[in-house]
Amino acid sequence: MKREDVLKGLKERFAGDILEFSEKSPKRLYIEIKAESIKKVALYLYKDLGCRFNIASGMDMRRHFEILYHFLLEDLNVQISLRVKLLKPSKMSSPAVGGGGSMDPPPTTGGNDLVLPEIDSLAPLFEAANWVERELHELLGLNFRGHPDLRKLLLPDDWPQGVYPLRQDYKEWDPNAIRDRGV
Amino acid sequence: MGVKLTALLKSPWVFHLSTGSCNNCDIEVLDCLTPRFDIERFGMLLAGSVRHADVLLVTGSANRKSMERVKKLYEQVPKPCLVVAIGECALSRGLFIDSYNCPVPVDKIIPVDVYIPGCPPRPEAIIAGIVKLIEKVKAPAQ
Repeated sequence: MKREDVLKGLKERFAGDILEFSEKSPKRLYIEIKAESIKKVALYLYKDLGCRFNIASGMDMRRHFEILYHFLLEDLNVQISLRVKLLKPSKMSSPAVGGGGSMDPPPTTGGNDLVLPEIDSLAPLFEAANWVERELHELLGLNFRGHPDLRKLLLPDDWPQGVYPLRQDYKEWDPNAIRDRGV
Repeated sequence: MGVKLTALLKSPWVFHLSTGSCNNCDIEVLDCLTPRFDIERFGMLLAGSVRHADVLLVTGSANRKSMERVKKLYEQVPKPCLVVAIGECALSRGLFIDSYNCPVPVDKIIPVDVYIPGCPPRPEAIIAGIVKLIEKVKAPAQ
């Protein structure tokens, strides 16, 4: 299978799903796709092309959340990153939602699980996506539809509900925290 | 600090506890044990269990999860014991001071006797710190 054939096949097969197709270098490929078609594109990359799923990385880009799913196509040595943009629900940008914290004054971030941005989970397709989706869920507050077990992964158990530390609007919630060096 | 502690410090057994550090301080601590620095000439040995230790040596900025473990381990050290904090992270959390996961420095969790600054401190600095500690403990008995 040649590199050109793979790229052409991808473009043709997912013509309706791909929003942007950019080759940063011969080894690096970014494909921005619609959020609702992540499952079928990932399935094609994983099952048909035989890509290895490396990791997913998430980021709060102020206007939207961005998830990059990194796949490595080892036969051709191409790193394919699927970029998905999840719009922030308008409710979350207003600061007075709050009310979810269990032990302190209500935090300004989120507070209601119903308004989390949603995307289909890839964990049913390959187990490697399981933990990273749990991590994205607890740190960025994204909801993965169809994830088998969306518990906390890294944060302690007494972490307040609805506070997501890697969001841009994260505020200090712990009244006992000391943020100076004492000198 | 009484006679009991002074006696223990003839040969302090050290328990090395890393509370989520980058392992740089841990490597320097291990370097102290190599023949080049040979900290055993002061009688210091690494203990396998915290229940055998006289000195608790803490590296790393304690995060929300390891805070609980630090407390539990400190309760298990036979008293009297000494606590040595090594490295900038254990002293003031270094660059993690604003991290959501590192709310308080180590010395607000357990009492610390010696602070050895550096990122990471050189083995000489660690040895100097511990020798000063031993001398400070011995001084009132003389």
